[in-house]
Amino acid sequence: MSRDTPTPTGNAPWSGPGLLEQIADNALDDDYYVFRGLEPRPSRRAGLVVGLVVALFAMFVTTAALQTRNDRPATELERRTLAADIEARQKTLDERRTTAAGLSAEVQSLQDANNAAQGEPAELGVISASAAVVGPGIVITAENGPDDLGAGRITDRDLQVLVNGLWYAGAEAVSVNTNRVGTLTSIRTAGDAITVNFRSISPPYTVVAVGDSESLQTRFAQNAAGAYWENRRKRSGVEYAVTPSSDVSLPAVPDERLALKHAATLEEDR
Amino acid sequence: MIPVIGLVVGLALGLWLEPTVPLWLQPYLPIAIVAALDAVVGALRALAEKRFNDRVFVVSFISNVIIASAMVFLGDQLGVGSQLSTGVIVVLGIRIFANAAAIRRRIFHA
Repeated sequence: MSRDTPTPTGNAPWSGPGLLEQIADNALDDDYYVFRGLEPRPSRRAGLVVGLVVALFAMFVTTAALQTRNDRPATELERRTLAADIEARQKTLDERRTTAAGLSAEVQSLQDANNAAQGEPAELGVISASAAVVGPGIVITAENGPDDLGAGRITDRDLQVLVNGLWYAGAEAVSVNTNRVGTLTSIRTAGDAITVNFRSISPPYTVVAVGDSESLQTRFAQNAAGAYWENRRKRSGVEYAVTPSSDVSLPAVPDERLALKHAATLEEDR
Repeated sequence: MIPVIGLVVGLALGLWLEPTVPLWLQPYLPIAIVAALDAVVGALRALAEKRFNDRVFVVSFISNVIIASAMVFLGDQLGVGSQLSTGVIVVLGIRIFANAAAIRRRIFHA
Protein backbone atom coordinates (compact mmCIF):
# COMPACT_ATOMS: atom_id res chain seq x y z
CA MET A 1 0.00 0.00 0.00
CA SER A 2 1.34 3.37 -0.95
CA ARG A 3 -0.36 5.45 1.72
CA ASP A 4 -0.44 5.21 5.45
CA THR A 5 -1.37 1.59 5.41
CA PRO A 6 -3.91 0.64 8.03
CA THR A 7 -2.72 -2.93 8.18
CA PRO A 8 0.93 -3.86 8.20
CA THR A 9 1.35 -6.02 5.14
CA GLY A 10 4.94 -7.15 5.34
CA ASN A 11 4.87 -7.90 1.63
CA ALA A 12 7.53 -7.00 -0.87
CA PRO A 13 7.78 -3.23 -1.36
CA TRP A 14 5.93 -1.57 -4.14
CA SER A 15 7.78 -2.71 -7.19
CA GLY A 16 6.93 -0.13 -9.84
CA PRO A 17 4.41 2.19 -11.39
CA GLY A 18 2.44 -0.54 -13.19
CA LEU A 19 -1.00 0.63 -14.25
CA LEU A 20 -2.86 -2.29 -12.74
CA GLU A 21 -0.88 -2.10 -9.52
CA GLN A 22 -1.60 1.58 -9.31
CA ILE A 23 -5.30 0.87 -9.67
CA ALA A 24 -5.10 -1.74 -6.98
CA ASP A 25 -3.18 0.60 -4.68
CA ASN A 26 -5.71 3.36 -5.06
CA ALA A 27 -8.60 0.99 -4.64
CA LEU A 28 -10.09 2.99 -1.81
CA ASP A 29 -11.32 6.38 -2.93
CA ASP A 30 -9.01 9.12 -1.91
CA ASP A 31 -11.96 10.95 -0.45
CA TYR A 32 -12.19 8.62 2.50
CA TYR A 33 -8.67 9.71 3.47
CA VAL A 34 -9.36 13.34 2.78
CA PHE A 35 -12.52 13.40 4.90
CA ARG A 36 -10.88 11.52 7.67
CA GLY A 37 -10.36 14.50 9.87
CA LEU A 38 -13.87 15.93 9.56
CA GLU A 39 -16.16 15.65 12.52
CA PRO A 40 -18.91 13.09 12.08
CA ARG A 41 -22.21 14.35 10.74
CA PRO A 42 -25.47 13.78 12.57
CA SER A 43 -25.64 10.02 12.35
CA ARG A 44 -29.39 9.61 11.89
CA ARG A 45 -29.73 11.58 8.69
CA ALA A 46 -26.50 10.17 7.34
CA GLY A 47 -27.65 6.65 8.05
CA LEU A 48 -30.91 7.34 6.24
CA VAL A 49 -29.17 8.57 3.11
CA VAL A 50 -26.76 5.65 3.17
CA GLY A 51 -29.70 3.27 3.63
CA LEU A 52 -31.46 4.88 0.66
CA VAL A 53 -28.41 4.45 -1.54
CA VAL A 54 -27.96 0.86 -0.42
CA ALA A 55 -31.64 0.21 -1.15
CA LEU A 56 -31.15 1.71 -4.62
CA PHE A 57 -28.16 -0.53 -5.17
CA ALA A 58 -30.06 -3.61 -4.04
CA MET A 59 -32.90 -2.72 -6.36
CA PHE A 60 -30.49 -2.29 -9.24
CA VAL A 61 -29.01 -5.68 -8.66
CA THR A 62 -32.37 -7.45 -8.31
CA THR A 63 -33.79 -5.75 -11.33
CA ALA A 64 -30.82 -6.62 -13.50
CA ALA A 65 -30.78 -10.19 -12.26
CA LEU A 66 -34.49 -10.62 -12.86
CA GLN A 67 -34.25 -9.02 -16.26
CA THR A 68 -31.42 -11.27 -17.31
CA ARG A 69 -33.28 -14.32 -16.05
CA ASN A 70 -36.49 -13.30 -17.81
CA ASP A 71 -34.66 -12.64 -21.02
CA ARG A 72 -33.02 -16.00 -21.05
CA PRO A 73 -36.11 -18.08 -21.91
CA ALA A 74 -36.80 -15.81 -24.86
CA THR A 75 -33.25 -16.23 -26.08
CA GLU A 76 -33.49 -19.95 -25.51
CA LEU A 77 -36.77 -20.11 -27.41
CA GLU A 78 -35.28 -18.12 -30.23
CA ARG A 79 -32.30 -20.43 -30.39
CA ARG A 80 -34.52 -23.49 -30.46
CA THR A 81 -36.73 -21.97 -33.12
CA LEU A 82 -33.67 -21.23 -35.21
CA ALA A 83 -32.40 -24.75 -34.76
CA ALA A 84 -35.77 -26.16 -35.80
CA ASP A 85 -35.79 -23.80 -38.75
CA ILE A 86 -32.37 -24.97 -39.85
CA GLU A 87 -33.44 -28.56 -39.51
CA ALA A 88 -36.60 -28.00 -41.53
CA ARG A 89 -34.70 -26.22 -44.26
CA GLN A 90 -32.10 -28.92 -44.41
CA LYS A 91 -34.90 -31.42 -44.81
CA THR A 92 -36.41 -29.32 -47.59
CA LEU A 93 -33.01 -29.11 -49.21
CA ASP A 94 -32.62 -32.88 -49.05
CA GLU A 95 -36.07 -33.35 -50.53
CA ARG A 96 -35.31 -30.94 -53.31
CA ARG A 97 -32.01 -32.65 -53.98
CA THR A 98 -33.84 -35.95 -54.29
CA THR A 99 -36.39 -34.36 -56.58
CA ALA A 100 -33.61 -32.80 -58.64
CA ALA A 101 -31.85 -36.15 -58.92
CA GLY A 102 -35.11 -37.80 -60.01
CA LEU A 103 -35.81 -35.07 -62.51
CA SER A 104 -32.35 -35.19 -64.01
CA ALA A 105 -32.68 -38.96 -64.31
CA GLU A 106 -35.97 -38.36 -66.11
CA VAL A 107 -34.33 -35.78 -68.35
CA GLN A 108 -31.56 -38.27 -69.08
CA SER A 109 -33.98 -41.03 -70.01
CA LEU A 110 -36.06 -38.64 -72.11
CA GLN A 111 -32.94 -37.47 -73.87
CA ASP A 112 -31.95 -41.05 -74.51
CA ALA A 113 -35.39 -41.80 -75.88
CA ASN A 114 -35.18 -38.67 -78.00
CA ASN A 115 -31.77 -39.67 -79.32
CA ALA A 116 -33.10 -43.11 -80.11
CA ALA A 117 -36.04 -41.58 -81.93
CA GLN A 118 -33.90 -39.04 -83.75
CA GLY A 119 -32.79 -41.58 -86.34
CA GLU A 120 -36.31 -42.37 -87.52
CA PRO A 121 -38.19 -39.16 -88.40
CA ALA A 122 -37.05 -39.09 -92.00
CA GLU A 123 -38.25 -42.62 -92.46
CA LEU A 124 -41.44 -41.90 -90.51
CA GLY A 125 -42.05 -38.91 -92.74
CA VAL A 126 -41.94 -41.14 -95.77
CA ILE A 127 -44.23 -43.73 -94.23
CA SER A 128 -46.75 -41.19 -93.00
CA ALA A 129 -46.43 -39.28 -96.27
CA SER A 130 -45.67 -36.05 -94.43
CA ALA A 131 -42.40 -35.62 -96.29
CA ALA A 132 -41.72 -35.26 -99.96
CA VAL A 133 -39.69 -38.16 -101.35
CA VAL A 134 -37.41 -38.91 -104.27
CA GLY A 135 -36.14 -42.19 -105.50
CA PRO A 136 -36.40 -44.80 -108.21
CA GLY A 137 -39.85 -46.00 -109.15
CA ILE A 138 -42.39 -46.40 -111.91
CA VAL A 139 -44.77 -44.01 -113.58
CA ILE A 140 -48.13 -45.31 -114.74
CA THR A 141 -50.14 -43.18 -117.10
CA ALA A 142 -53.78 -43.95 -117.77
CA GLU A 143 -56.22 -42.28 -120.11
CA ASN A 144 -59.91 -42.80 -120.70
CA GLY A 145 -60.76 -45.08 -123.57
CA PRO A 146 -62.79 -43.99 -126.62
CA ASP A 147 -66.05 -44.68 -124.82
CA ASP A 148 -65.31 -42.11 -122.15
CA LEU A 149 -68.90 -41.86 -120.92
CA GLY A 150 -69.35 -45.62 -120.45
CA ALA A 151 -67.00 -48.50 -119.86
CA GLY A 152 -63.99 -46.61 -121.22
CA ARG A 153 -64.13 -44.08 -118.41
CA ILE A 154 -61.62 -44.51 -115.60
CA THR A 155 -63.48 -44.52 -112.29
CA ASP A 156 -62.40 -44.01 -108.72
CA ARG A 157 -62.62 -47.75 -108.32
CA ASP A 158 -60.03 -48.21 -111.08
CA LEU A 159 -57.65 -45.84 -109.40
CA GLN A 160 -58.20 -47.46 -106.01
CA VAL A 161 -57.35 -50.83 -107.46
CA LEU A 162 -54.31 -49.35 -109.15
CA VAL A 163 -53.00 -47.75 -105.95
CA ASN A 164 -53.74 -50.88 -103.91
CA GLY A 165 -51.94 -52.97 -106.47
CA LEU A 166 -48.92 -50.70 -106.27
CA TRP A 167 -48.82 -50.98 -102.47
CA TYR A 168 -49.10 -54.68 -102.82
CA ALA A 169 -46.28 -54.69 -105.33
CA GLY A 170 -44.01 -53.07 -102.77
CA ALA A 171 -44.34 -49.35 -103.42
CA GLU A 172 -43.08 -47.15 -100.60
CA ALA A 173 -44.87 -43.97 -101.68
CA VAL A 174 -47.61 -43.36 -104.19
CA SER A 175 -49.07 -40.23 -105.72
CA VAL A 176 -51.95 -39.69 -108.11
CA ASN A 177 -51.61 -36.63 -110.37
CA THR A 178 -49.07 -35.21 -107.85
CA ASN A 179 -51.43 -35.86 -104.97
CA ARG A 180 -49.56 -37.96 -102.49
CA VAL A 181 -51.50 -40.87 -101.08
CA GLY A 182 -51.25 -40.79 -97.31
CA THR A 183 -52.92 -42.50 -94.39
CA LEU A 184 -55.93 -40.19 -94.50
CA THR A 185 -56.19 -40.00 -98.26
CA SER A 186 -59.36 -41.02 -100.02
CA ILE A 187 -59.82 -41.63 -103.71
CA ARG A 188 -63.41 -41.24 -104.78
CA THR A 189 -65.72 -39.75 -107.35
CA ALA A 190 -67.34 -36.47 -106.56
CA GLY A 191 -69.65 -35.31 -109.31
CA ASP A 192 -67.91 -35.64 -112.66
CA ALA A 193 -64.38 -35.77 -111.36
CA ILE A 194 -62.29 -37.99 -109.18
CA THR A 195 -60.89 -36.40 -106.05
CA VAL A 196 -57.72 -37.33 -104.23
CA ASN A 197 -57.09 -35.60 -100.91
CA PHE A 198 -60.33 -33.69 -101.69
CA ARG A 199 -58.72 -32.23 -104.80
CA SER A 200 -60.30 -32.86 -108.16
CA ILE A 201 -58.13 -34.42 -110.79
CA SER A 202 -58.82 -35.01 -114.44
CA PRO A 203 -57.43 -37.40 -117.01
CA PRO A 204 -54.84 -38.30 -118.04
CA TYR A 205 -54.02 -39.82 -114.72
CA THR A 206 -50.41 -40.19 -113.73
CA VAL A 207 -49.76 -42.53 -110.86
CA VAL A 208 -46.20 -42.51 -109.54
CA ALA A 209 -44.83 -45.12 -107.15
CA VAL A 210 -41.45 -45.16 -105.43
CA GLY A 211 -39.74 -48.52 -105.17
CA ASP A 212 -37.37 -50.76 -107.06
CA SER A 213 -38.42 -50.07 -110.66
CA GLU A 214 -37.95 -53.54 -111.96
CA SER A 215 -39.55 -55.52 -109.18
CA LEU A 216 -42.41 -53.03 -108.88
CA GLN A 217 -43.15 -53.38 -112.55
CA THR A 218 -42.95 -57.15 -112.50
CA ARG A 219 -44.92 -57.67 -109.35
CA PHE A 220 -47.62 -55.20 -110.38
CA ALA A 221 -48.00 -56.94 -113.72
CA GLN A 222 -48.37 -60.27 -111.94
CA ASN A 223 -50.82 -59.34 -109.18
CA ALA A 224 -54.57 -58.96 -109.33
CA ALA A 225 -54.49 -55.21 -109.88
CA GLY A 226 -52.23 -55.57 -112.89
CA ALA A 227 -54.51 -58.25 -114.30
CA TYR A 228 -57.53 -56.02 -113.67
CA TRP A 229 -55.97 -53.13 -115.57
CA GLU A 230 -54.78 -55.41 -118.37
CA ASN A 231 -58.38 -56.57 -118.62
CA ARG A 232 -59.66 -52.97 -118.64
CA ARG A 233 -57.34 -52.12 -121.50
CA LYS A 234 -58.35 -55.07 -123.57
CA ARG A 235 -62.06 -54.83 -122.91
CA SER A 236 -62.72 -51.07 -122.68
CA GLY A 237 -59.84 -49.55 -124.57
CA VAL A 238 -58.46 -47.72 -121.54
CA GLU A 239 -55.00 -46.49 -122.33
CA TYR A 240 -52.50 -47.63 -119.81
CA ALA A 241 -48.70 -47.59 -119.76
CA VAL A 242 -46.08 -48.44 -117.15
CA THR A 243 -42.73 -46.66 -117.43
CA PRO A 244 -39.83 -47.38 -115.10
CA SER A 245 -37.94 -44.33 -113.91
CA SER A 246 -34.70 -44.01 -111.98
CA ASP A 247 -35.64 -40.71 -110.45
CA VAL A 248 -39.17 -39.78 -109.45
CA SER A 249 -40.15 -37.18 -106.90
CA LEU A 250 -43.39 -37.08 -104.90
CA PRO A 251 -44.73 -34.19 -102.84
CA ALA A 252 -45.90 -34.50 -99.26
CA VAL A 253 -49.52 -34.90 -98.29
CA PRO A 254 -51.11 -31.45 -97.79
CA ASP A 255 -51.08 -30.29 -94.17
CA GLU A 256 -54.85 -30.47 -93.72
CA ARG A 257 -54.69 -34.21 -94.39
CA LEU A 258 -52.08 -34.63 -91.64
CA ALA A 259 -53.82 -32.83 -88.79
CA LEU A 260 -54.98 -35.12 -85.98
CA LYS A 261 -57.82 -34.04 -83.73
CA HIS A 262 -58.70 -37.10 -81.70
CA ALA A 263 -56.13 -39.82 -82.00
CA ALA A 264 -53.37 -39.94 -79.38
CA THR A 265 -50.32 -42.13 -79.15
CA LEU A 266 -50.58 -45.15 -76.88
CA GLU A 267 -47.46 -44.99 -74.75
CA GLU A 268 -46.62 -48.72 -74.73
CA ASP A 269 -46.42 -48.67 -78.51
CA ARG A 270 -42.70 -48.34 -78.69
CA MET B 1 -28.53 -0.97 11.05
CA ILE B 2 -30.24 1.38 8.63
CA PRO B 3 -28.09 0.28 5.64
CA VAL B 4 -29.05 -3.34 6.30
CA ILE B 5 -32.73 -2.37 6.38
CA GLY B 6 -32.13 -0.42 3.16
CA LEU B 7 -30.57 -3.51 1.58
CA VAL B 8 -33.54 -5.68 2.52
CA VAL B 9 -36.05 -3.07 1.41
CA GLY B 10 -34.26 -2.63 -1.91
CA LEU B 11 -34.19 -6.38 -2.55
CA ALA B 12 -37.86 -6.70 -1.59
CA LEU B 13 -38.85 -3.78 -3.82
CA GLY B 14 -36.93 -5.20 -6.73
CA LEU B 15 -38.48 -8.63 -6.32
CA TRP B 16 -41.95 -7.31 -5.65
CA LEU B 17 -42.20 -4.58 -8.29
CA GLU B 18 -40.08 -6.33 -10.91
CA PRO B 19 -39.50 -3.05 -12.71
CA THR B 20 -38.81 -3.37 -16.40
CA VAL B 21 -35.64 -1.69 -17.52
CA PRO B 22 -36.31 0.61 -20.48
CA LEU B 23 -34.62 -0.59 -23.61
CA TRP B 24 -32.38 2.46 -23.94
CA LEU B 25 -31.13 1.91 -20.39
CA GLN B 26 -30.37 -1.77 -20.74
CA PRO B 27 -26.78 -1.51 -22.00
CA TYR B 28 -25.83 0.71 -19.06
CA LEU B 29 -27.40 -1.22 -16.19
CA PRO B 30 -24.75 -3.97 -15.86
CA ILE B 31 -21.87 -1.48 -15.92
CA ALA B 32 -23.70 0.81 -13.50
CA ILE B 33 -24.15 -2.12 -11.14
CA VAL B 34 -20.48 -3.04 -11.25
CA ALA B 35 -19.56 0.59 -10.58
CA ALA B 36 -22.03 0.73 -7.69
CA LEU B 37 -20.60 -2.51 -6.35
CA ASP B 38 -17.18 -0.89 -6.38
CA ALA B 39 -18.53 2.00 -4.30
CA VAL B 40 -20.25 -0.39 -1.88
CA VAL B 41 -17.17 -2.55 -1.37
CA GLY B 42 -15.06 0.58 -0.93
CA ALA B 43 -17.52 1.78 1.70
CA LEU B 44 -17.32 -1.56 3.50
CA ARG B 45 -13.54 -1.32 3.58
CA ALA B 46 -13.72 2.27 4.89
CA LEU B 47 -16.18 1.07 7.49
CA ALA B 48 -13.78 -1.65 8.54
CA GLU B 49 -10.98 0.90 8.76
CA LYS B 50 -13.25 3.20 10.76
CA ARG B 51 -12.89 5.99 8.27
CA PHE B 52 -16.34 5.68 6.67
CA ASN B 53 -18.00 8.88 5.66
CA ASP B 54 -21.57 8.85 4.44
CA ARG B 55 -21.14 11.83 2.14
CA VAL B 56 -18.13 10.29 0.45
CA PHE B 57 -20.05 7.05 0.02
CA VAL B 58 -23.11 8.69 -1.49
CA VAL B 59 -21.11 10.90 -3.80
CA SER B 60 -18.78 8.11 -4.91
CA PHE B 61 -21.73 5.80 -5.48
CA ILE B 62 -23.60 8.25 -7.68
CA SER B 63 -20.55 9.50 -9.53
CA ASN B 64 -19.35 5.93 -10.15
CA VAL B 65 -22.70 4.97 -11.67
CA ILE B 66 -22.91 8.10 -13.78
CA ILE B 67 -19.32 7.98 -15.02
CA ALA B 68 -19.50 4.29 -15.87
CA SER B 69 -22.75 4.76 -17.78
CA ALA B 70 -21.37 7.82 -19.52
CA MET B 71 -18.29 5.92 -20.62
CA VAL B 72 -20.38 3.12 -22.06
CA PHE B 73 -22.58 5.67 -23.80
CA LEU B 74 -19.57 7.44 -25.23
CA GLY B 75 -18.06 4.13 -26.29
CA ASP B 76 -21.29 3.23 -28.06
CA GLN B 77 -21.26 6.53 -29.91
CA LEU B 78 -17.63 6.02 -30.93
CA GLY B 79 -18.15 2.41 -31.91
CA VAL B 80 -15.88 1.02 -29.20
CA GLY B 81 -18.67 0.33 -26.71
CA SER B 82 -17.76 -3.26 -25.92
CA GLN B 83 -14.03 -2.54 -25.59
CA LEU B 84 -14.63 0.42 -23.32
CA SER B 85 -17.07 -1.66 -21.25
CA THR B 86 -14.39 -4.31 -20.88
CA GLY B 87 -11.88 -1.70 -19.75
CA VAL B 88 -14.26 -0.24 -17.19
CA ILE B 89 -15.11 -3.70 -15.89
CA VAL B 90 -11.43 -4.61 -15.58
CA VAL B 91 -10.54 -1.48 -13.62
CA LEU B 92 -13.57 -1.72 -11.36
CA GLY B 93 -12.98 -5.42 -10.89
CA ILE B 94 -9.41 -4.83 -9.76
CA ARG B 95 -10.59 -2.18 -7.32
CA ILE B 96 -13.27 -4.45 -5.96
CA PHE B 97 -10.78 -7.25 -5.49
CA ALA B 98 -8.24 -5.00 -3.80
CA ASN B 99 -10.82 -3.59 -1.41
CA ALA B 100 -12.21 -7.02 -0.67
CA ALA B 101 -8.65 -8.21 0.04
CA ALA B 102 -8.12 -5.34 2.46
CA ILE B 103 -11.34 -6.23 4.30
CA ARG B 104 -10.29 -9.86 4.38
CA ARG B 105 -6.90 -8.94 5.80
CA ARG B 106 -8.57 -6.86 8.52
CA ILE B 107 -11.03 -9.60 9.50
CA PHE B 108 -8.78 -12.65 9.32
CA HIS B 109 -5.46 -10.88 9.89
CA ALA B 110 -4.11 -12.72 6.90
